[in-house]
Amino acid sequence: MSIARPTFLAVLVAAVLLALGSSVSAFEGEGPLYEAAKKEGALTWYTAHYNSDTAAAVCAGFEKKYAGIKCNYIRTTAQVAYQRLAQDQKAGIAAASVISSTDIGHYGRMKKDGWLVAYRPKSLSDLIDAFKPFNDPEDMYVITAAGLVLLTYNTSLVSAADAPKKWTDLLDPKWKGKVSIGHPGFSGYVGTWVVQMRKLYGWDYFKKLELNKPRIGRSINDTVTMLNAKESWVAAGPSATTLQSRDKGNPVAVVYPEDGALLMISPSGILKNAPAPNAARLFMEYLLSKECNEIMVKLRNDSVNKHVQPLPGAKSLADVKTIRPTYEEILKGIPEVKEQFRDTFGI
Amino acid sequence: MSTAAEARSYRLRWRHLDKSLFVWVLLIGVLLVLVINPLARLLWASFQDGETGALTLGNYAVAYGRWRYLEALGNSLVLGVAVAALCTVFGVPMAWAVSRTDMPGKGLVWAAILGTFIMPSYLGAVAWILLAGPNAGWLNRAWMALTGTAAGPLDVYTMSGLVLIVACYSFPYMFVFTRSALDLISSEMEEAAATLGAGVVRTTLRVTLPLTLPAILGAFIVEFLEAIALFGAPALIALPGRFQVMTTMLWQFFEFPPKVEVAAAYAMPLLVITVVLFWLQRRIIARKGFVALTGKGGERRPLRLGAWRWPMLGYCLFVTSLSFFLPMLVVLHAAFAKAWGRGVALDNVTLHNLKFVLFDQSTTQAATIHTFVYGGTSAAFALGLALAIAYIVHRRLVPFGGTLSYIAMAPFVIPGIVLAIGFYAAYTTRPLVLYGTAWILILAFTTRFLPIAYANSDAAIRSVNPELEDAVRILGGSRRLAMRRVLAPLLKRGLAGAFILVFIPATRELSSAIFLYTTGTQVLSVLLFDKSDEGNFEILSSIGLILVVITVVLVMLGFRLVGRDFMLKRTTA
Repeated sequence: MSIARPTFLAVLVAAVLLALGSSVSAFEGEGPLYEAAKKEGALTWYTAHYNSDTAAAVCAGFEKKYAGIKCNYIRTTAQVAYQRLAQDQKAGIAAASVISSTDIGHYGRMKKDGWLVAYRPKSLSDLIDAFKPFNDPEDMYVITAAGLVLLTYNTSLVSAADAPKKWTDLLDPKWKGKVSIGHPGFSGYVGTWVVQMRKLYGWDYFKKLELNKPRIGRSINDTVTMLNAKESWVAAGPSATTLQSRDKGNPVAVVYPEDGALLMISPSGILKNAPAPNAARLFMEYLLSKECNEIMVKLRNDSVNKHVQPLPGAKSLADVKTIRPTYEEILKGIPEVKEQFRDTFGI
Repeated sequence: MSTAAEARSYRLRWRHLDKSLFVWVLLIGVLLVLVINPLARLLWASFQDGETGALTLGNYAVAYGRWRYLEALGNSLVLGVAVAALCTVFGVPMAWAVSRTDMPGKGLVWAAILGTFIMPSYLGAVAWILLAGPNAGWLNRAWMALTGTAAGPLDVYTMSGLVLIVACYSFPYMFVFTRSALDLISSEMEEAAATLGAGVVRTTLRVTLPLTLPAILGAFIVEFLEAIALFGAPALIALPGRFQVMTTMLWQFFEFPPKVEVAAAYAMPLLVITVVLFWLQRRIIARKGFVALTGKGGERRPLRLGAWRWPMLGYCLFVTSLSFFLPMLVVLHAAFAKAWGRGVALDNVTLHNLKFVLFDQSTTQAATIHTFVYGGTSAAFALGLALAIAYIVHRRLVPFGGTLSYIAMAPFVIPGIVLAIGFYAAYTTRPLVLYGTAWILILAFTTRFLPIAYANSDAAIRSVNPELEDAVRILGGSRRLAMRRVLAPLLKRGLAGAFILVFIPATRELSSAIFLYTTGTQVLSVLLFDKSDEGNFEILSSIGLILVVITVVLVMLGFRLVGRDFMLKRTTA
């Protein structure tokens, strides 16, 4: 008995500590917010930030962390997500609670049209500091996803030594008929990349690229298919999908360009007519959380939480030389380069 | 006294009144709501200013004000005509061989055509990129290895490449239309020609083919319209091939900020084209009497091809290799590969992709069920409606019947993406809010594939001589009795085919689904399309494979349920 009692006590204390530990709030006010969100039961999330595997995993992680709230995701491209939302708004339908587009221009428009509602996540301090300037000063949207556009190649066709090292290497005539890129009229990633290339090297870059007759797909992810099919040897591709494909054993690899990998950072916002406003807030906190970013990193997306490190084989964003146009440059530039792109490439 | 007599006379008149009239009126109402409402919204939008809503012709000025836009329209016309022509080359000889000759291996050919039809064209297009990509396509590499040349002859990223792919996935319409027409022609006519000294070729060209001409023309138009309204395959092939077609151009109008009004204006001439084509088809057919199913018996004996049996089978297998066997090989390879970029190797084989798609991903399971439930429901709706309309038109039960057939054919020219916008606009506001429910998808699919159902029902009803029903009516039977005991049995087989012709495209329909689905109503085509630009070809192929396999099983089951004669027919006739 005299031995059993302290053991019992120790177990009790441990249990209490454990219970406390697991219920320690990830952020201030988590408990009441969770309770309020649970009453709403479910939230719908329109997202273009990642592919559907990642979106599914992020949703599943949310449902696990906050049992009792169902997470429905609709994953499409940025343009379609926006179109859906626009139709919803026009018809007065309250379907989505959170919107995650990759075209930053959408946010300016949504804000102007009064579709968004301000919320400053309590977990904002966990966001990588370099991203903070891109948040809306009025808290209408916050950066929740990051990725890179970089040089990619098929390792069974191109040796690491021969692989392009900087963006201008894609102009080398030895890649004629072997370069793959996406289309700015479809992909927000590609649009931003074209704006950045124009900024660095002028439109001449694309006139010269046209001499190499690049294979133009729609999404930036199409370049991964082209490389795997050996139809293209090198590409301007995305980090996440390329590395995901490499993890499966496909012969693809990435090069962080010397003149800078294009940093894509994409915000999320809460809709004013959100049917589940509390769940939406909770979800925004979750998107910044350690758990969620660990899931993203596992699927080769980049973390936006400064405490989560990437898996081996991918560099931390902090160690990569990144480049990025300003918000104004993107907003003004994407419609311009779409036209220029069509004039130069004929589609 | 007089009032009682009056009442009796009313009762008598009521009793003799054809009660089916009410059903006809109701059905016409449904047709108007399904087709006219979204189209009217579209037409209205084309004359509306996007910002202010004021009436304007500005959208037309924008839509036709640039050479690039016009060029895309021109490309679509070229694509449509070339595809329809190639489909005729592919489909008609095969239909003739399967229906009228003693060619061996008919079961295999028929199964391959069914497989082709079930395979979504965007899945086929991805497979063809692997087969005929100019740098690394399997066929090109095989050619290079065989001939020792430095480059292969094929380039999928061209207009001819696109024509081939689109034709591969739409020639089954031509095959089925022609075949059902051929199945109805009795051998007596051919034998009469033979007795009078005509050879096989002459008989076929002068007797058999002219009798099937209406079916071939109908299919030609369907092929043309299908080709110009397609979005998936052109997006995969035309863009990398550096040319635009109408649907990829429409995509541009939906870009941020979306110009729905301009898109509506841009889609309008296609309606005109359909109307003209339809009118043309009518005129060609109207000159000749083409009633072949007279109920006067008639036997169908297969034509003996002799030594030509094998080249004929060779041709059938050649076409189905292009459309089904080769692409399926690619899909199978990717579905069972750990990493499809590594090529064929034993240590690269895995069941993980299929297991993941089937068991680990709840979205796929739900989407699979939705796909087939929606497909089946819309096929039933479309067919019921189309049959009724075709019957009304041909038996001249109401005035202006001809207009109804135009309306029933109209949805075919509306690209799915535009139809979806029309539906969205029409059914997200009161009085009928369908958005967010399965009904909006089912009704959109019904509308979208109504023309296929109609073209089939039209051909089926046209082939049945009204004398057969008139006989029933003369003998005192009601119209209902005539329909149940005469029409239904005669049409049963053709309709089973028609059901499947609507069901299959509904299971793979993408362009309208992508705008109308919500979280609770996802379908497989949407999942597939997501994967097509995600570079995740292993999973894409697994989902594609599941779609193809389940549809094949369901269709086979359907054949068995509807009537064994269908199956027997294909193996013995």
